[in-house]
Amino acid sequence: MSFVEDSQNTAPGGVPVNKRSGAQKDAEVGQKAVKRLQTELMQLMTSPAPGVSAFPSADGNLLTWRATIEGPEGTPYSGLTLKLSFEFPKNYPYAPPTVLFRTPIYHPNFDFSGRICLDILKDKWTAAYNIQTVLLSLQSLLGEPNNKSPLNGEAAKLWDQDPTLFKTKVMERHKDLEDD
Amino acid sequence: MYQPEPTAYLQVSTGYAMPHTLPEYTFDETPLRLSDGRGGSSIGAGGSSSSNAAATSALLYGTPLFSNTNSAGIGPAPPTSGSSTAPAPAHSHTFHHQQQQQHHQHPPQQHRTRNVARTVPSSVAASSSRIHQHPHQQHHRASLPILLKMEPNSEDIAAQEAAAREYQQHFEVHNLETRRHIHQSSACALDAFHFHSGPLIGKKTPSTAIVEEYAKADPIYVQKTMVLPQTYSDYRPVQGDGSCGWRAIGFGYFEALIKTRSKARIDAERQRLESLTPVLENVGGFPSYLLQDFVDETFSLLQKLADLANHPDQAMSALEEVFNTPDVSSCILYHLRMLASSYLKGNQDQYAAFVTTNTGVEGYCKEVLEHHNVELDHLGLTLLVNVLLRDAGFVLEVAYLDRSPGSEVNTYRFPEEANGRHPSELGPIIHLLFRPDHYDILYIPEPVDLQVHRVASFSHRYEIENSPMAAMHNFGGPVNMETLAMIPGFGTPTPGSLAAAPPILDTTPSPLSAYSPSPVSPWATAPPPYADPLQQQQHQHQQHHQQPPTAPMPIPMPMPASSAAAVAANTMSLAVSAPPQTHPLRFSEYCQLPEYVENNTWREQTLQTTTFKNSHFNVAHYNNPNFQPEEYKPESDDHHDAPPRASTRKRGSV
Repeated sequence: MSFVEDSQNTAPGGVPVNKRSGAQKDAEVGQKAVKRLQTELMQLMTSPAPGVSAFPSADGNLLTWRATIEGPEGTPYSGLTLKLSFEFPKNYPYAPPTVLFRTPIYHPNFDFSGRICLDILKDKWTAAYNIQTVLLSLQSLLGEPNNKSPLNGEAAKLWDQDPTLFKTKVMERHKDLEDD
Repeated sequence: MYQPEPTAYLQVSTGYAMPHTLPEYTFDETPLRLSDGRGGSSIGAGGSSSSNAAATSALLYGTPLFSNTNSAGIGPAPPTSGSSTAPAPAHSHTFHHQQQQQHHQHPPQQHRTRNVARTVPSSVAASSSRIHQHPHQQHHRASLPILLKMEPNSEDIAAQEAAAREYQQHFEVHNLETRRHIHQSSACALDAFHFHSGPLIGKKTPSTAIVEEYAKADPIYVQKTMVLPQTYSDYRPVQGDGSCGWRAIGFGYFEALIKTRSKARIDAERQRLESLTPVLENVGGFPSYLLQDFVDETFSLLQKLADLANHPDQAMSALEEVFNTPDVSSCILYHLRMLASSYLKGNQDQYAAFVTTNTGVEGYCKEVLEHHNVELDHLGLTLLVNVLLRDAGFVLEVAYLDRSPGSEVNTYRFPEEANGRHPSELGPIIHLLFRPDHYDILYIPEPVDLQVHRVASFSHRYEIENSPMAAMHNFGGPVNMETLAMIPGFGTPTPGSLAAAPPILDTTPSPLSAYSPSPVSPWATAPPPYADPLQQQQHQHQQHHQQPPTAPMPIPMPMPASSAAAVAANTMSLAVSAPPQTHPLRFSEYCQLPEYVENNTWREQTLQTTTFKNSHFNVAHYNNPNFQPEEYKPESDDHHDAPPRASTRKRGSV
C-alpha cells in the first residue's frame, strides 16, 4: 500500500519527505487530513454511536486507526466483537480510507483477507463520510449483506439457503484477537 | 501554456505496439520530443527535469563532439531548414539559440524533424553510434517531458512510447501519474493528460496562446479560436483534475469580489455564506462538526480579501496562493459542492427532473455533486450559479468551444435571465471557456484605463518632463536602443518612434512637431506601476478641484442583493453612477480647439460602456485633431507616409 508509506512520511514526527519539491505541499496535505481526523476523534469521543468505536492506533500516527464493531443483535454475528483497521490517505477526506477486518470473518461481502466490498469505501466515497458513518454502514452490512455482488460466493449462497450452516461457519471462522 | 488539442492522438498511442529497443531510431527521434517547447512548458515538473538533464549531460559529455550533439539534441529543436543536414559542429550553438527563439513560431515541426532524422548523415549518425557506448545519455534525454502534440504517425508514437517506457523510472512522480492516466484510456484520461499539469490555477495568460494551441486542429476549432482573442484578451488555465469547473467558478467569484474593491461587499458576501451554513446542515444533511472544516477556509479567505479590499493586487496574489494550496482549495471547493448539493436538496421540485444519474436526487448529490473531483455538469453549474453567484449579483458567461457549426464560440449566460441583455445592465460577469469536459477562465479587456492615461498625461505633463524617463527623449548618445531594431516592426528607435505608439494612445493632443519631444505617449505606454500613482494623484486633484467629485470606482453595493430585482436595481445604479465625464482636465496650450473640449463631453460618455472603453474599436483618438492613423503598407514600407511621422520612420524599417 504505497500511499500508506507516503502518508507516514508526512505524519508529525515521521521521517521528513526528502528530495521532491512537492514535499512541502504533501506535508501540508497530510496535516489537513490529521486535522480532520482530530475533529472526528473529538466527535467520536463526545457522542459515540452505539456498537462501534474507533481510536488512533497506539503508535501515535493519526493516519492509522483501530476500530471495533459489536455484532448486532439478531444477526449471526451477535455477541462477537470485530476488529478493523483504518488506513487514511494523506488527502483524506477527499479519498476514502482503506478499511480491513482484522478479525477473521465469514460474510458475503468480506473476503478471507478481511477486505471489504462496500461502495462508499470505493467510488461512492464523498468527503462528507467519516469514520462513524463507515462503521455504521459496516455494522448494518453485517445484518443485511449485499448478496448481489459477493466477495465470498459461498457465504452469499448459504446466507440465503442455510442460515444454520452459515452461523456455524461464522463461529468457526471467528477468532478473538488480542488487543495490541 | 500550450495544451494539445483534444481527441485522437493519445488514444491512438495506446494502440500501437511498442518495440523494446530502437536505439538508433530512438535517438533520431529524440529531438522530436525536445523540439516542441510545448511539452516542457505544459508539464511543470517535466520542465525542471529537462534543465537538470541538460546540465547533467553537458557535464557528462563535455568532449567537443558530444557537446555539439548535445546542444543540438537538448536544444528546443533540430535545424529548421527542411532538407538540411544535422548541424555542423561549428554552428550547433548558433542553431541552438536560434531554435530557442523560433520554436514557438513553427508549430508543425514534426515533419521537419522527421526529415532531418531521415537525412541525417555523419554527425548525428556518429553520435548515435556513441550512444551505445554511453547509455546514460539516453536516460537524460528521456527524462525530458513527453511531447503532447504529435502527428498520428505510428513511427513517432512507437518511438516515443518506447523511449518513454524505457525511462519511466526517471520521470517525476507527476509524470508517472499522468502516464497512468493515459493508459487507463477513456476520454476522461485524455482530459486529465491535457490539463492535469501545472498549478491548480494558472497565471493570467494572453488568450492568443489558445489560438496557437489549436492552430493544427479541426478547422472549426481554428476558426473559433482565431476570433477568440478579439473578445477575450486573456485567459487563466485551470487544472483539469475533475474539479476544474468548480474551481473556475469559485476563483471567478472571489476575483469578482476583489474587483469590486469594496470591503462592505465582501463582508456582506461572507455573512450571506455564513447564513447558508445552517442550510448545509439542515437541508444538505452534512454533519456540522465536519462541514465546519470546509467552510472555515472559505470564510477565512473572504476575511483576507476583505482586509485587502483596497489592495486588489495583493488580494489577487493571496487568492491565487489559496487556490494553489491543495488542501485549502479542496476545502473551499467542497464548500461549493455542499452549497450546490444543499440547494438541490432544498429545491427538488424544480430540479429533480434534470438529475443525470438514475439514483435520484440523493444519489446524484452523493455521486456527482459531493463526490470529490467529479466534474461540474450542467445541472451542477446551474445550481452553483443560483446559490453562489446570483445572489451576489454576479453573472456567469460560458463560451463554448466545440465543433458545433459557427465562426465563433457560442456564449450562454447564467442565470438564464441575464441572456440577451447588455453587459452594462448586468453585474460583474465571470467569463469561462468551456471545452468538452474542461473549464478555463477568460477575461475581457479591462474597461478602465483610457481616460486615466489621458488625464494623467495632461495634468502632469510638467512633472513627467522632469522625470528621467522624459529626459531620455532628449538623448543624444548614451542610450543605445539599437537592439530594439532587431524586433520585427520596430524601427530604429528614436524618441518619435517611441511616441508613435498604437493609435489608441494618440488621443493626446501631441503633434510631434508642436512640442517634440513628447513625454506623453511613452508614459501612456508605460506599465501601470507608472500610471497608477499618477492616477491616484489625479483623483486627488479631482477631489480638490471639482464639486461634486466624480466617482473613480463603481459605487460599492451596501448590502448583498437578496433578490433579482434588487440586483437589477443595483446594477442599474452602477451603470448610472459611472463617472460622468465633465473633465477636470487642465488642457494644455497644445490643445488648440475649444470645440473639442465641448464635444468631448458627450463623446466621452459613449465610451462608458464596459466593453467599449478599452477596446481597439474605440474612436476616442479621433477626437485628437492631429490624429494620424498609422497604416501598414508592406510595399511602401520605406515611404514617409505622414509628415509628422516622417522623422520617426526615417531610419526605421530597412
